[in-house]
Amino acid sequence: MAALCRGSHRWKKINSFHVLKRNLTGKHDYDLVVIGGGSGGLACSKEAAQLGQKVAVLDYVDPSAKGTKWGLGGTCVNVGCIPKKLMHQAALLGTAVKDAQRYGWQISGTVSHDWATMAEAVQNYVKSLNWGHRVQLQDKKVTYLNLKGTLVDKHTIRGLSKAGKETILTAKNIVLATGGRPKYPSNVPGAMEHGITSDDIFWLKKSPGKTLVVGASYVALECAGFLTGIGLDTTVMVRTIALRGFDQQMAGLVTDHLESYGTRFEWKSVPTRVEKLSSGALKVTWTNTQTGCEHSDTFDSLLWAVGRAPETKALGLDKLGVQISKETGKIIVGPDESSSLPNIYAFGDIGEGRPELTPTAIKAGRLLAHRLAGRSSELMNYDNVATTVFTPLEYGCVGLSEEEAEKRHGKDGIEVYHAFYKPLEFTVAQRDSSQCYIKVICERAGHQKILGLHFLGPNAGEVLQGFSLALQCGATYRQLMQTVGIHPTSAEELVKINITKRSGLDPTVTGC
Amino acid sequence: MFERAKIARDRKNPENRTDLWMAHRLLVRRVWTLSVQDIRRLPSSAAAISTSSFSTSLQSPPSRVSLLSPSRTLPRTLHQISRRDVSFNVQDTEDFTERVVNSQLPVLVDFHAQWCGPCKILGPRLEKAVAKQKGRVAMAKVDIDEHTDLAIEYGVSAVPTVIAMRGGDVVDHFVGIKDDDELDSFVSKVIGQ
Repeated sequence: MAALCRGSHRWKKINSFHVLKRNLTGKHDYDLVVIGGGSGGLACSKEAAQLGQKVAVLDYVDPSAKGTKWGLGGTCVNVGCIPKKLMHQAALLGTAVKDAQRYGWQISGTVSHDWATMAEAVQNYVKSLNWGHRVQLQDKKVTYLNLKGTLVDKHTIRGLSKAGKETILTAKNIVLATGGRPKYPSNVPGAMEHGITSDDIFWLKKSPGKTLVVGASYVALECAGFLTGIGLDTTVMVRTIALRGFDQQMAGLVTDHLESYGTRFEWKSVPTRVEKLSSGALKVTWTNTQTGCEHSDTFDSLLWAVGRAPETKALGLDKLGVQISKETGKIIVGPDESSSLPNIYAFGDIGEGRPELTPTAIKAGRLLAHRLAGRSSELMNYDNVATTVFTPLEYGCVGLSEEEAEKRHGKDGIEVYHAFYKPLEFTVAQRDSSQCYIKVICERAGHQKILGLHFLGPNAGEVLQGFSLALQCGATYRQLMQTVGIHPTSAEELVKINITKRSGLDPTVTGC
Repeated sequence: MFERAKIARDRKNPENRTDLWMAHRLLVRRVWTLSVQDIRRLPSSAAAISTSSFSTSLQSPPSRVSLLSPSRTLPRTLHQISRRDVSFNVQDTEDFTERVVNSQLPVLVDFHAQWCGPCKILGPRLEKAVAKQKGRVAMAKVDIDEHTDLAIEYGVSAVPTVIAMRGGDVVDHFVGIKDDDELDSFVSKVIGQ
């Protein structure tokens, strides 16, 4: 051991000699090195290893500004989809308990929620997933390195350990799948010192208490949704519009529901400063951009959900000439996920123009592995990818928004069918269903190919998955009408839809 | 060697590979530890101490203490055995080698995780079963998040996983929860009763 420590500078010289020798002889340490151990990186590396390649994956988590860090698995597993959905479920169960009483359940006393119990259970589950991924890499014979990877040249990666120790690896092909991290606003004093992001919220040991969520992305609305659902005083501050990029009519219904659910909204407002009071609470000052008035209030926590930035700065891309988008910082990629350098690929959240979703990253990663192993030339199809926003009333969609359909086909080229419906479960529970709504956007001519499907209601994700297959198969409105519904469900309303926006008739579904 | 091969044969294919790979790792570890033992070779009379009871020790107490520190594989005194004293937490790979692989006693290794619910039930149950044996078997606890490499080396995939080691060889193992009776019989089998 001592010999190694003393001769560390000698070791570096020997190492670079080996690298030089390897490069000259054309032999690399690995066939493929993947930088990033998230949804995409893990899928790609495991698939490549199964196809016989020698693969290594580098995963490293820089702690958040608040010091939160996590294990192998990436954003989805640790600070995204998984903990989000579990906390969303916790909130839904709270509503279910309230409904239960109308269904006859005798619940004595008040029902309250304990953050610590939920957080511990969620965090334990996430940790079990970290371990599961570790075991999978071992089983699939992928070398796992807990190092922060940087590109030295197009075949060489430098990995830095937490202790600062350097490791050099060479690879025939390099895949970048480092994902993104939440942004902090740059112009609000106190933002970073006193605010948290989605990187932190799921790992809090204590309840965030009265929370201000700044932003109106799906991250903001989903978090605000479950915080409200578990009984916390929650406010959402929106600068301009909610759910940018989504169908705006649907976005409006989502926020309408959130407001009726109990979340407070500060529209057209931007925070100007954050101060910590002697009591430990946060005083947030903001400006209403419409009235110009300044307001302030105290909160226990401030959650910034104002966008995500790609993790590309530390990769050393500019040195190698890998092209990135000036606007977003993401890597410019071709339809085969290739970058501007021939053997370097990028996909997942860091790919410019790519959806920031786990299933697309996983599928793209696997297809990329097949292409790199020379087994296929199939490219990833990013069209008609279904998604769901897990707000208390869920919003699922696949295909085009109404705005996009109008842009592509013209208002006269499309027919929009819509319906307001009431889930049967809401009736006895006496729940308001004003925002339970479905929209099917079709081509106007011929068999009316379906361009987009939008469903706002309980279990939207489950409802929509099957319909996304229909869109993939090029389903038409005619075929939709030939489909018999399952009764009684909310999903059946999709195959019964018949009132058009154009007709101006009342789209409320009545009776069976 | 025979026992390792037997375990390998008894298992279905995927586990077979894991067991054989595990066996290979153990052999490597064994070779390493044997050479370490050569360097640290003790007077031959001392070897008898760890397998016999205190009353038949061949060396005077001061030398015994110099060979084995109190917290090692032997309990402090037979009278003071409580569930707490029965198991120890493995500190690092060297500690594992010294106290488990090189142990003169059979050792049960409880691979567990902080996030694992069933582990919290199995741990105390296993300690109870081990305590009943009054010093004939030791128990080591390995937190798989703190000692990932060790857990991976021993092929742990799900937790709780308990492996039984005797003379540096894995002689038995199980995954998941077991009740008190099953644990008693498992422990007895490991000791060789």
